[in-house]
Amino acid sequence: MSTATTPTGPEQFGRFAISLAERRLHVDGQQVALGSRAFDLLAALVARRDRVVPKDELIEVVWPGLVVEDNNLQVQISALRKVLGAQAIATVPGRGYQFTVAAAAQPPGIAPAPRAVVRAGAAPSRASRLLVADDNKVNRLLLCRSLELMGHEVASADNGRTALERLRSERFDLLLLDLEMPEMDGFGLLEQRAADPALRELPVIVTSSLEGVAQAARCIELGADDYLHKPVNPVLLKARVDASLERKHLRDRERELLARLAPGLLDGSQIAGAASEGQRTAATLLAACLGDVDRLTQTQSAQETLELLGNWSTLMLDAIESHGGRVTQLAGDTIGAVFDAADAATSALRTAQEMLELAAQFNRERTSTGKLPIVLGVGIASGEIVAGHAGTPRRASFVCVGAAVQRAAALATEAAQRGDAVLIDASTHAALADHLPNLAKSPDTKVTATGAFSIFSER
Amino acid sequence: MNPAVIDPHTFDELQANAGADFVLELVDTFAEEAPRLLAELRNALAAGAAERFRRAAHSLKSNGNTFGATRLAEMARALELEAFPPDVAALDALVPEIDRTVAALQALARQ
Repeated sequence: MSTATTPTGPEQFGRFAISLAERRLHVDGQQVALGSRAFDLLAALVARRDRVVPKDELIEVVWPGLVVEDNNLQVQISALRKVLGAQAIATVPGRGYQFTVAAAAQPPGIAPAPRAVVRAGAAPSRASRLLVADDNKVNRLLLCRSLELMGHEVASADNGRTALERLRSERFDLLLLDLEMPEMDGFGLLEQRAADPALRELPVIVTSSLEGVAQAARCIELGADDYLHKPVNPVLLKARVDASLERKHLRDRERELLARLAPGLLDGSQIAGAASEGQRTAATLLAACLGDVDRLTQTQSAQETLELLGNWSTLMLDAIESHGGRVTQLAGDTIGAVFDAADAATSALRTAQEMLELAAQFNRERTSTGKLPIVLGVGIASGEIVAGHAGTPRRASFVCVGAAVQRAAALATEAAQRGDAVLIDASTHAALADHLPNLAKSPDTKVTATGAFSIFSER
Repeated sequence: MNPAVIDPHTFDELQANAGADFVLELVDTFAEEAPRLLAELRNALAAGAAERFRRAAHSLKSNGNTFGATRLAEMARALELEAFPPDVAALDALVPEIDRTVAALQALARQ
């Protein structure tokens, strides 16, 4: 029932022009060579830019029918970021990726596609998907028509059971629900929704010609947002639908921010097991630290600083996740991660390398717009730690404690102050010597006054 | 046009809000659905299925209200709310009213 038009020419996003039909990408007017997978991935992200796209979904689109590890996806994402800029694709930890560049204004006559700019403080604007559940064909068609005229994408179901199945398999922003239906009526659907954590936050507007206040009251008790009497007044319908969608989008935004700023906290099961499954383990700790924050805060607005921290964290989290690390601390200008697989030291070092690459790219973008570059310090330390969930049942997080954790943090601070890129402790250096003997013996590797090894130094 | 069958104000508003072309389609849909609802009323009555009967009457009432078919909506509402089984005469009276309503709607929608 969607009436969206598909533009046939190239679509313009900031400095990029993407032609899906010809599989071409132009940056600043110059054609850029992209691998076939990278282009498929870009097309998939652009087509879904109204939302965060889960990794599984992207893998299914780009490598249909194949079993592919996350790593392959990460490689393609990195390739795209090298061409498009680090911030063109945002990572939402635990949820996936989103293309963030806003579409340029379309020439008149072409309906603008939904677009979204995800950054701290900006509300994503998106085309909303609505489901209409009504067994009466005339009512269903009329309601769908009214909602489509408001610019929404509308799907329909002719009984409660079908509606519930669609809600469980597709993403919707709002349900318009009739009460009198065969198979499963509106009350039954509301009860199922209340019992399902995945559906509980989907807003529902009940539309019914059942008479009496008791029915409306029961719907509200069961969690419906609103109750509209049929025949539905179009003005009232628009007002209620807009209000429900706005609340939904605000909640989505909060959730997205929470996912970015406090990974791990959204999963209730993790919190329930807080402090119960701690373990002592050998691991490599990595800390990344943003240097000279005072200078940055003094030369830019608070909003710009927050945006910078958000973008910086996103890039660092990306590097950590793509090498199997687990974030243990997110504190604005510092990020901690733990690696505990067999090749922990190597993974941590690769993470540091990628962080440096991403930071360098980020700085090129900043300096090209007259902004101060950031200074990144990374510290890596290895040793025995205790890891697990700690906190209260209401608020808990994954934590790591041990001397190596503090050593990594201290090394990161030292690295940021010295302007050195990466400092590693002696244990990590010894672990790396087994895997990367050339690096350990490299003449670029220096020992600092504190006994740390300085590698990848820019100076 | 028969103003006694269709409330012109309701019908005009419907056309203004949804578009005259769409309302024409909607009327044709109703022309197909109404006899089905009537059959459902008769079958439910024969089977002694009070809930099915009430639901079909409710649906017919709802559609009557949508198009401004005031009298049809009132008759269907009486069947929905009154005790089951209803007076068979009330069900019989529904047949010519549905025919009149459909004819009036089709005439209005094609004007």
